[in-house]
Amino acid sequence: METEVDSRDTSLILLKQGAEARVFESSFVGRKSVVKERFSKKYRHPALDSKLTLKRLNAEARCMTKARRLGVCTPVLYAVDHVLHTLTFEYVTGPSVKDVFLEIGSRGTDKEWLDNIASQIGEAIGKLHDGGLIHGDLTTSNMLLKSDTKQLVLIDFGLSFTSTLPEDKAVDLYVLERSLISMHSSCGNVMDQILAAYRKSSKQWSSTLNKLAQVRQRGRKRTMVG
Amino acid sequence: MFWLEDSKQGFKDQWRQARVKIADICECRHIFLSIFRFKPEEAMKSFNINGTTLSIALYTDVTNSKELLESMQTGTLEPEVAFLNALLIPNIFPVLAAAHKTLVAKSRDSLTTRTPHSELVYNYSGSKHITESLKRCGISDSTTYILAARFDASPDEIQAVEKLINGKEIDLEELEGRANQSQIQKHYKISASELGVSSLADAIVCRIAARDAL
Repeated sequence: METEVDSRDTSLILLKQGAEARVFESSFVGRKSVVKERFSKKYRHPALDSKLTLKRLNAEARCMTKARRLGVCTPVLYAVDHVLHTLTFEYVTGPSVKDVFLEIGSRGTDKEWLDNIASQIGEAIGKLHDGGLIHGDLTTSNMLLKSDTKQLVLIDFGLSFTSTLPEDKAVDLYVLERSLISMHSSCGNVMDQILAAYRKSSKQWSSTLNKLAQVRQRGRKRTMVG
Repeated sequence: MFWLEDSKQGFKDQWRQARVKIADICECRHIFLSIFRFKPEEAMKSFNINGTTLSIALYTDVTNSKELLESMQTGTLEPEVAFLNALLIPNIFPVLAAAHKTLVAKSRDSLTTRTPHSELVYNYSGSKHITESLKRCGISDSTTYILAARFDASPDEIQAVEKLINGKEIDLEELEGRANQSQIQKHYKISASELGVSSLADAIVCRIAARDAL
């Protein structure tokens, strides 16, 4: 009996190019996959460059799998290649929360749908933070909604790190708040709904939200005076 | 000279027709052969991983695991095969992911263990402890439920593998029903909260992939 599993890992289709990495569509032993390649920066010293690239590659793989252990849906990690500096993970079919919010904003309907997404976001961030994981780049374009189950999937853990400090958690939330204000003001106050869900899901919500109030006053960067 | 030209033309036409006929005959012969080609009954299932095949078969009620283990440890197992404890395998995808990882390491001459087949077992375990991996994910004296896998197996080797194992071969579809969920959760340290967002197989794949990043 012969089962042909088509696995042309060489056929790559460029999906997106960012400052740190390129993202390709490919296939991994018969499943559709996404390959994220961290390319080297020619302006950095080669020794420093390879060290940084590897460190970030490993950190991203670690944080993605840690998030899953905490019960937050992220794409399944299929492979890590330390020589090519690539991560291969599951291809998640579905729109980004950004696109969904923009559509809801322009039509002004689907209140329930919006509430559902907001509470999923708050709950997911609460779980991450309680597990001591900071996403580092919480924007609506780094959140996907699976087409079939409508489950929220967090992606891009390239800036993630582990920390239990309320400061780091508050800045994480603050980044999301800023991105919501700039992109999705037509959706009404989604952030309040997200924070309400966050309070329910995170046990340490109080210190984080207190800190968030301080961060709002001063902005993301701490003043290092004195 | 007119008739000569004409006959030349006629001869050319005839030749062309003859060639078409020859081609037709060849074509028919080809189709005929492909229909009635003798195909040996291959019981192992083959998966293509970037051009390399991995042949896999699943056996239950295996009675000679002790001999298999001994010949494997002395290095006299012929042909060389990877034996995995199938209780830890909820479906075939994690095995393919481990095989992919093995093949990448092999192509770079960076295998951690001695052979690609032991590397497959080691990779499947998702841990860095080689002895422990081979013990838990490989077979022991008393194992009766085994998944056998071999890279680039020829038809002869596939038959040899089948002769090697005294057991009943079953379909790979049965993996899911026969897997030991609590043993898998314990070995891979999979929490209940992770299973809320992930299948058992996907959780294993994540651990196989992320091992070297930890």
